Amino acid sequence: MKKMISIALVLALGVAVVAEEKLSMTEADRALYQEMLENNPADIFVEEGAELLDELGGEEALAKFLGVKEEDLPRYIATFPRYIDKIGMVVALDQMLQAFMYDQGKKPYKLKSSEMDALAAFVKSLANGEKIAIDVNANEHMQKAYELGKEMFELRRGKRGLSCNSCHSPDVVGMRLRMQILPNLGDPKVKAAATWPAYRMTKGKMFTLQKRFQQCMKNALLAKLPLGSPQMVALEVYVTNMAKGQEIHIPGLKR
Amino acid sequence: MKRVAVVALCALATLMAKDYKSVIESPDATKILQKDRLPPAKRYTMPKNCITTDPLAIARGKYIFHNLNGKKAKTKPPKGLAKYVVVGGKKKPKQYGNCVACHNIEGAKGPGNIGPDLHNYKKHFIDSGVRSYQYVYQQIADARVHIPNTHMTINLTTKLFTPQEICEITSYVVSQKKEK
Ligand code: HEC
Ligand code: HEC
Repeated sequence: MKKMISIALVLALGVAVVAEEKLSMTEADRALYQEMLENNPADIFVEEGAELLDELGGEEALAKFLGVKEEDLPRYIATFPRYIDKIGMVVALDQMLQAFMYDQGKKPYKLKSSEMDALAAFVKSLANGEKIAIDVNANEHMQKAYELGKEMFELRRGKRGLSCNSCHSPDVVGMRLRMQILPNLGDPKVKAAATWPAYRMTKGKMFTLQKRFQQCMKNALLAKLPLGSPQMVALEVYVTNMAKGQEIHIPGLKR
Repeated sequence: MKRVAVVALCALATLMAKDYKSVIESPDATKILQKDRLPPAKRYTMPKNCITTDPLAIARGKYIFHNLNGKKAKTKPPKGLAKYVVVGGKKKPKQYGNCVACHNIEGAKGPGNIGPDLHNYKKHFIDSGVRSYQYVYQQIADARVHIPNTHMTINLTTKLFTPQEICEITSYVVSQKKEK
């Protein structure tokens, strides 16, 4: 009798393990993830970004360009995307860096370039430990961007008629799309906006938040919105606001 | 004189603002969004002889149900279903339904659970009279007619599939299945 119970138990456990393996991360994946957490492969890109910023005059020059004291730079960086008076529009961090490069007499990196990803990742990492402090009510520009971002998030489009909300709305997050758990973008365990640029283990590369959006668009057959478009920046505003108050940790590490 | 200086300063200021805008990449996506628009919900009438027991038609429906697209699909598609199609002179992977991403069903590998489990659909939903073929056809074609805020994909109004293909998917869902 005892033996039968233990056989049943072993069988049940076996099933549980199989079910587990079907989910997105196997034990081996998880071990690798733990190891990479301590030694994020994207660290080298961030370091490369540090060198690029040095060539542009370093944190001192950047703080000067932004009109803030150098010691206030981290807190200021935690407020992006934001409206900047002298630029005259709501910009994401990488777009601000284009303006900064121009100001320093350099040809700005393209938003899709890996140099820009490295530079933006380093600059955002200056705010590591700061809390996301986006202010969507700071002015009418931010309010408009937030509204547009909400619209973009909820807009069903593309060949499957899906929106970001189809997979990231409160009533579906935590459910499974094929083998992936649908992430709640504002959840403290995910806090998307606080963790991108991040290294994607499945792609072996670091990506910015807007590039991550593009990957979801591509997967779900939504036409890809171009990096830096007002619609894309608005989407970043909206998604960043979901993680408001969460601590920034760059580079992130994702599946 | 003072006034001239102020005007000049203002002009300079706007010039500088303009300068920044001109070096920042900020392409407008309005046109892309317009082309990508989802038409309003549409009610469909199931074509004649839509639901079939033809094994080949059901096999195509099944293949569309379980696969994402022709590039990702590992097995050979059944006769009459291509892996690649030519769109605007370019060869592209054919998109399938990927229904298994949200629904469990007989023989599903790594199914999702966003949508209801469709195991034994024939017995539980059709034979019991809970659902009609027409209902299932409409659900797959454009679920918004039943549930305006549905999380389900829209498959006919977006022209992702032809009515014939929707019939084949529907036929698969309502068919008697052997595997568990
Ligand atoms: C068809 C479902 C689906 C749609 C539509 C979709 N996503 Fe996702 N998204 C996912 C899944 C699944 C993941 C997690 C993937 C993984 O674990 O690798 C994800 C991950 C993400 C992440 C990374 C979260 C993290 O871990 O930090 C972001 C950001 C994101 N999505 C934003 C968007 C935006 C913005 C849109 C709309 C333009 C969108 N998604 C549309 C399914 C979707
Ligand atoms: C992104 C998620 C998703 C995908 C992909 C999806 N569905 Fe669904 N489906 C749902 C949800 C959620 C429901 C529950 C009702 C609702 O909210 O519309 C549903 C309901 C259904 C129903 C109705 C069940 C009933 O009788 O009430 C059928 C049939 C169905 N889906 C078939 C399919 C088929 C076939 C495909 C692929 C062509 C598919 N689904 C793709 C999410 C999805």
